[in-house]
Amino acid sequence: MDIINDTIKQQIFFRKELRERVYWFIKLRWVAAVIGLAGLAAARLMGLTLPLGPLVGIVLFIIGYNIIFLLVGRRLLSTRPTEVRPYHIFAHVQISLDIISLFLMIMFTGGLASPLLIFVIFHIVLAGMLLSPVSCFGYTFMVLLALGALLLINPQGLLHLETIRIGSHFFFHQLQHHELIISYLIFAMALVVAAYLITSVKVTLRAKGRELLHISKQLDISNTKLLALYEMIKEIGTKTRLQELMDSATHSAARIMGVKACSIKLLDKDKKYLEFASSYGLSQEFVAIDRIEVDKSTINRQIIEGSLYSIGNLDEEDYFQYPNDVRKEGVVSMLCLPLRVGHKTLGVFCVYSGESNYFSARDADFFSLMTDLIALAMEELSQSTAKTWFLNKTAHQLRSPVSAVMSMLYLLTKGYLGSLTVQQQETVARCEKRLSILRDTINDLLKLASENDESRRQPFHPVNAAATLQAMIPIYLNQAEQKGLIFEVRVAAELPQVLGLERLLDEIFTNLISNAIKYTAAGGRVLVSLSRESTEKIVFKVEDTGIGIPESDLNRLFAEFFRAENARSMVEEGTGLGLAIVKEVLDQMNGTIEVTSQIGRGTTVICLIPTRYQHVIS
Amino acid sequence: MATIPDILIIDDDRDLVNSVRIILESRNYHVRAAYNGQEGYCSIEEKIPDLIILDVMMTTDTEGFDLAYKLRRNPKYVNIPILMVTGFTQRMAELGPENFQHILSEDWPVSQFLEKPIDPEQLLAAAEALLMGEASHGHHQ
Repeated sequence: MDIINDTIKQQIFFRKELRERVYWFIKLRWVAAVIGLAGLAAARLMGLTLPLGPLVGIVLFIIGYNIIFLLVGRRLLSTRPTEVRPYHIFAHVQISLDIISLFLMIMFTGGLASPLLIFVIFHIVLAGMLLSPVSCFGYTFMVLLALGALLLINPQGLLHLETIRIGSHFFFHQLQHHELIISYLIFAMALVVAAYLITSVKVTLRAKGRELLHISKQLDISNTKLLALYEMIKEIGTKTRLQELMDSATHSAARIMGVKACSIKLLDKDKKYLEFASSYGLSQEFVAIDRIEVDKSTINRQIIEGSLYSIGNLDEEDYFQYPNDVRKEGVVSMLCLPLRVGHKTLGVFCVYSGESNYFSARDADFFSLMTDLIALAMEELSQSTAKTWFLNKTAHQLRSPVSAVMSMLYLLTKGYLGSLTVQQQETVARCEKRLSILRDTINDLLKLASENDESRRQPFHPVNAAATLQAMIPIYLNQAEQKGLIFEVRVAAELPQVLGLERLLDEIFTNLISNAIKYTAAGGRVLVSLSRESTEKIVFKVEDTGIGIPESDLNRLFAEFFRAENARSMVEEGTGLGLAIVKEVLDQMNGTIEVTSQIGRGTTVICLIPTRYQHVIS
Repeated sequence: MATIPDILIIDDDRDLVNSVRIILESRNYHVRAAYNGQEGYCSIEEKIPDLIILDVMMTTDTEGFDLAYKLRRNPKYVNIPILMVTGFTQRMAELGPENFQHILSEDWPVSQFLEKPIDPEQLLAAAEALLMGEASHGHHQ
């Protein structure tokens, strides 16, 4: 699988180079043809005696086949064959035709004495760049053979070609035959050396290219794996039950590591036994084995003590008590690590492969990272589950007696147990009052304690703040009316949605509005408004003409259980937790709160709440 | 109704059971009590009551619900109205209904909810309505 991929990638890589060069060739050829024609014209002007007819013919021939190459090249570009072969053939045809054209030019311009001879070297260099070393040397020797033949049969004489002259002078020094042989040998040497140099550079470059490809492939793999790991951690982070989390982890781990099976075994409280807690790809029978006694299993003990355990081939050594069970699962190699958070070991995490020596050192490193992240997620979940359980239990334990006592007091106040004296009635009413304060305190306290926990589990989503506010207005309108207050609500049109939870918004609105009503005497005024500060923030503002907050108390306002002196003397009930809850909620939503107040004149609370359009930093 | 209505209270809080009993007996209802789900089910098997007043959370968080579902699945008991007494609505308001999805996934197995602490007038009104067969069975509101 990998080998095939590799070849394809290599082919793509080298084909790209070949393709680019092939088109570059066609462009170069236009330039060469133009220069050739210009050169011929110049030679003619200078009065050189040249066989113009054949030479112009050759240039036209070059132009002609270059047009064909251009068309073929375009076709190749549009069909994009995946094979390298068509490009190779194309390159060979081009180089062959070029060499033939050049050879003819040389023949017509003085044979071995031709000034164009030097261009042969360029063609060999180009062949060396594009084609295999064998092809390059092949061309070299063919060219040399052809030139040798030229030397032997002397076509100048045969074809009665004229030597190039300017006027009556020879353009070149007329070489004797033996001088031509020496010149040929030197040229042959130069050509072979050029071919050698270019092919060896090319071979090195190819090797480097392959290396680069290999590295890029490795990078691709680790990048894909890391991305998958990130997705996996994100996915298991949404799980609210440990079993779901572990099942998701084993499933994803097997997929990411590309193996057939994966398992999580958990340690019991006394750290004596290991038991399969979640598995993927293993049979029910295999997983249903009795718990493993750690002290009796050398492998598991070592893993729990912190070492990585990798078995390349289970058949080679006697690793297991029941090797047949393992073999039946088709497991040949495996990799195991302890699930650890700090010094605490939760269990053992294993992946199993059906191939021998499947896991490399790199796999082990990656697996170790994955194991640590899963252990962290498991630990965090079990801690928060424990906290939630504790809070639920506490809530029940604290509320039940209060509810029971209040229910019993109703029996007294409503006369089910006979009529009460005025003094008794007053005392029972006080009991009821104190109890309702206690109940509110318990509720607020639990709310504050669970706020972090519960809401962090739920993803924030866009919430219509105006609708949330408007839904609760009737209650407060009623309360304000009963108290003789003017209650006004102003909501700006088309507010952007905020990013949060209805429940959290509800908490902010309820606490702030009820405070304003509570601490404003009859005849006063409470103004509640929602407006837009920017696209990124909306403003929730509560203004009252109430008792105000002493300046010295402003900075302690958000502390738990804090109630300003004047607030306590005005209203008995109040837990001192409302503003702490509001602050906590706003912190979670990345919002802010600001309180300004003048004693005896009123208080203004301004909350800035981020909208869905704000970049959330957390 | 010619006969005296028979009401079964199932709650592990004896003080609450007693309070409810006092309230209901003031209207001359016949009141029986059970202090956990198992005991409650036995009492129902003994004699089908006209109304069950059930606590949500007893030994476990959902013991009351578990019993309610069990009754709803049994054709013999499916028509007994259930008034569920709970701090549940309060809790639900705090946590948001999304946290109760696993309980809410089926139809509500109870006829009506009553929040703790128990207000005598509300209790009597609800009981009376359920005994008259006003609330539809198996659906809340």
